[in-house]
Amino acid sequence: MEGKVIVVTSGKGGVGKTTATASIGAALALEGKRVAIVDMDIGLRNLDVVMGLENRIVFNIVDVVLGKCKISQAAIRDRRIENLFLIPASQSDNKDVLSPAGVERVANDLRKEFDYVIMDSPAGIERGFQNAIVGANEAIVICTPDVSSVRDADRVIGILYSRSLTPKLVVNRIEPSRVERGEMLSYEDVLEVLSIELLGLVPMDEHVLISSNTGTPLVLQNDSKAGHAFRRIARRLNGEADLPIEIPSHRSSMWKKISKTFGFK
Amino acid sequence: MINFDSAAPVKLKGVGDGFWITLDPSHSEDVLKSEIDKVFRNLKHLAINASVVLDVGGAKGHDDLIESLKSFLMTTFEVAKVSTPPEKRSIPTERIRQRDLSKGWNHHRSDVLMLRGIVRSGQKIESRKHIVIMGDVNPGSEICAGGDVIVLGKLAGKVHAGFPNTETAIVFALEFRPTLVRIGETAASGIDEEAGIKPEYASVENSAIIVKDYMKANPFRKMPWPEAI
Repeated sequence: MEGKVIVVTSGKGGVGKTTATASIGAALALEGKRVAIVDMDIGLRNLDVVMGLENRIVFNIVDVVLGKCKISQAAIRDRRIENLFLIPASQSDNKDVLSPAGVERVANDLRKEFDYVIMDSPAGIERGFQNAIVGANEAIVICTPDVSSVRDADRVIGILYSRSLTPKLVVNRIEPSRVERGEMLSYEDVLEVLSIELLGLVPMDEHVLISSNTGTPLVLQNDSKAGHAFRRIARRLNGEADLPIEIPSHRSSMWKKISKTFGFK
Repeated sequence: MINFDSAAPVKLKGVGDGFWITLDPSHSEDVLKSEIDKVFRNLKHLAINASVVLDVGGAKGHDDLIESLKSFLMTTFEVAKVSTPPEKRSIPTERIRQRDLSKGWNHHRSDVLMLRGIVRSGQKIESRKHIVIMGDVNPGSEICAGGDVIVLGKLAGKVHAGFPNTETAIVFALEFRPTLVRIGETAASGIDEEAGIKPEYASVENSAIIVKDYMKANPFRKMPWPEAI
């Protein structure tokens, strides 16, 4: 059976696309799937740093698309998580070196070798973004609960629909205490504007910064709330569609357990 | 081409059991009398006991003229009856009644662009017709219609009704939150007061855009008949 190519995108920069790609990819690999995460942000590569694999790069996605190397040569195997591979971006080229046809061909090749191919799209809606979505079967839109991010996500969703991709939404960086004080949009507000299927809600978590800087996957840290949320997102992607979505809350876990018993999700 | 300016002062037409005389009251009474005399002489005995309608073409204030012509016709040509044409209803009322009776909207070709779904940021919907959106219009999108804009949902984008200069157009939404409203050549920027979710519409009054609660100030309640647009 062929795998799925999932593009992670957002429109706006800095909302957590790269973190989400790394975390969802790692979590899917922990579920026992064979996963490749591909950095499509040509010229501004980050995914390798977040994954802590920077110093093992030999070939990159540009080399693969241009036929200078095989996929197996460019894919870096993660030593901590089995079945997790990274195909890094090139730091020296710019986005115009890739052609949509070339990317589509490579995406089809990757689909044959992996269960999941997660592509990290660059910010914006220009060439780099177009290249990232051209080979995708599914799309995940990352959005933070602020007005500009929602606006950009809305635009991106429109473009994805026009390419026959039905995106799913991840709301990232939710700060429950600020939502409660009315300083931040709630996930319901975001969902009301975007009205697409919700894949998960990820709370603000300081572990994200630490793990990005140290290059350790977030999902390997057991006490990380964001890591926990991404693991659930991965399970939902991996066929457990009924897994309830946890709403980030700053209340005690005791209270959460009580609410759960009474059937509040 | 017919030259209406130099039309004959008196025109004769046979109707049913009599004659219909169309007069141009701008001519003097003597001219009219001599003209009537001329045409009625040709009718000879046909004029006797006929009924005659004197039509001054809707012009008012010629009662004296009509009275004088009436006695002239009766004495000279022995006609039986001289009357004026029956009063007509005003044209718009007449037209609406006819349309109502004939259910004209059954044959009306729609001038509406009707869409379903969400209009998202970056999308622009343009039409020379009226636009109806069943769904939300998200911030960052644009609607531009030659006529009215009706949104059955939340309107939060940029909207231009009555493009380019129809000031009578309206913008209606179940939740009215546009960032910019233009109607014809009049513009107003976003309404930021939180008025709650209620159906509202915008129209131009005294060259300013006014937003009103649709349920309280329904502009179409005044219209007595449904009319196709």
